[in-house]
Amino acid sequence: MNAVLNLLHLAWKQLVRHRVRSLLTVIGVASGMFLFTAVETMQRSLAKATEEGAADTTLVVYRQNRFCPSTSRLPEHYADEIRRIDGVREVIPVQIVVNNCGASMDVITFRGVPEGLLGKFAPEIEYIAGTEAEWKTRDDGALLGEVFAARRGLKPGDRFEAAGITVHVSGVLRSPFPQDNNVAYVKLPFLQTASKSGLGVVTQFNVRVTAQQKLASVAKSIDAHFHSDQQPTDTRPEKAFFAETAADLIELIGFTRWLGLGAVLAVTTLVANALLLTVRGRVKENAVLRTLGYPGRAIVCLVVSEGGLLGLLGGITGVGLAAAFLHWQSFTLGNEGQTLAIRPDAPVVVIGVLAAVGLSILASLWPAWQAVNESIVKNLRT
Amino acid sequence: MNDNMIQCTGVSKSYRRGSTTVTPLEKLDLSVRRGEFLALMGPSGSGKTTLLNLLSGIDSPTEGSLVIAGNELARFSRRELTKWRSQHVGYIFQLYHLVPVLSAFENVELPLLLSPMSKKERHERVKSVLDLVGLGDRIHHTPSELSGGQEQRVAIARALVAAPPLLVADEPTGDLDRESARKILDLLRQLSREHGKTIVMVTHDPRAAEAADRTLHLEKGQLLEAA
Repeated sequence: MNAVLNLLHLAWKQLVRHRVRSLLTVIGVASGMFLFTAVETMQRSLAKATEEGAADTTLVVYRQNRFCPSTSRLPEHYADEIRRIDGVREVIPVQIVVNNCGASMDVITFRGVPEGLLGKFAPEIEYIAGTEAEWKTRDDGALLGEVFAARRGLKPGDRFEAAGITVHVSGVLRSPFPQDNNVAYVKLPFLQTASKSGLGVVTQFNVRVTAQQKLASVAKSIDAHFHSDQQPTDTRPEKAFFAETAADLIELIGFTRWLGLGAVLAVTTLVANALLLTVRGRVKENAVLRTLGYPGRAIVCLVVSEGGLLGLLGGITGVGLAAAFLHWQSFTLGNEGQTLAIRPDAPVVVIGVLAAVGLSILASLWPAWQAVNESIVKNLRT
Repeated sequence: MNDNMIQCTGVSKSYRRGSTTVTPLEKLDLSVRRGEFLALMGPSGSGKTTLLNLLSGIDSPTEGSLVIAGNELARFSRRELTKWRSQHVGYIFQLYHLVPVLSAFENVELPLLLSPMSKKERHERVKSVLDLVGLGDRIHHTPSELSGGQEQRVAIARALVAAPPLLVADEPTGDLDRESARKILDLLRQLSREHGKTIVMVTHDPRAAEAADRTLHLEKGQLLEAA
């Protein structure tokens, strides 16, 4: 154990004292891992928004054959009829107004909800600034999701305008559901009036069912109930609704996976190249160590340690910078009224750093093999 | 107990160079007593360095028997030979071959990094060896901050630090000025006489050979006793 620590220390000295070469390699690894982390964060954010879990009990009722909030118009009174369907725990009519219906990185989404229903429909919501009571005192009051507020730098007392609607910030909320953290909640009548969609008309209904197993049966019952109505419905689990409605966005993010793979390849090649050059530059030095009695495995340990340390430093730098950048910038991708917050999480950071170290160790195996497989005498003569 | 540190019997070494077979050593016999300081001289290509490589266990003979410190080297596996080398042989190179980014202290410490001794014990050993070669006041200097003679002293300290009974030196003064060379030879003689080290030194310089107890000439792979 002592010997391994001594070799690690020796590898560290070699890195620190070849500053320029190490710094250039670390910068290269960090650049690759920055890109990898950004791509992986997008992929994971998308997975969280689209993959159903056992805790998902929300359905979205939309106007049949409509794909944009501005064209989905349903009578508000449907809420009373939906509430009576077996398996429905709560229903909330929602008016959606967005400043941009297409795929965009700057989407502002207003959700108009009845004043007394928000807390009842979504008891998991937590207020991190302001209160629901303050919201109730103003017609134009808005409760902002924490990601939305952070992205726009808004706090209680501020006013802002988007899509022709001006609101007063009453509070900031946090929800375990990513969609809720990206929107501004306003009162339904206010939004119906301000957006000129008309009182009594909403974009969709969000329905909570009593158990996750009932999502399919309740969705079927709702659509069957309004099948012959003037405004037939299309009901889907919230995450499936997101996946279908934001298909363009998903395709775009799917493409970025190739960028991530490119980043991984770049990191591996860079570290392998740097270590090959190092090993070639130290052919004689390694031969001297072997003459002094260093076994092949110790030389391998030295080369692999250097690779691993370069990967660790580059990984921490690249992944850390990417995570900090994405956290502070609070990027949100929007499409058809659906928003996707690009938020790094702990698994992305851990995976990124481990990937950097793993790839670097992998990249150092060939140079390590080269360092021990030539004869000492031949290497001393080079 | 056998009084010989080195016993070579019928040792040959040959290798392929292109389509021809080169035989730098042929059926060579050599005995070196414990504590003896032996100089090997001979023209370039006479097999001096090849012999040194065989004695230090970094190369193996094509045929013949090589017994050093009572060990028949041919019986060792590659791993055993590496371990044996770390405990029994100190190699001194003509061009020192120090690690340029490490200080004198760290270079001398290298052979001990894989040993089970404590850090304190290791550091004390390194300091005492650097004091022995007269570089106690230069321990934090890197090779680029040392003269050629001082670098060779560091290399000698590195060869000595694991306390091997045998030192092999490949033209240790070949790259030094006369004064530095004299000091290095004095040091080697001291190591042989006062510390009982067996030393085999290859040299082209007759003055350097005079420091040794015995000088042998190697010509066409055969040893001749100096007149």
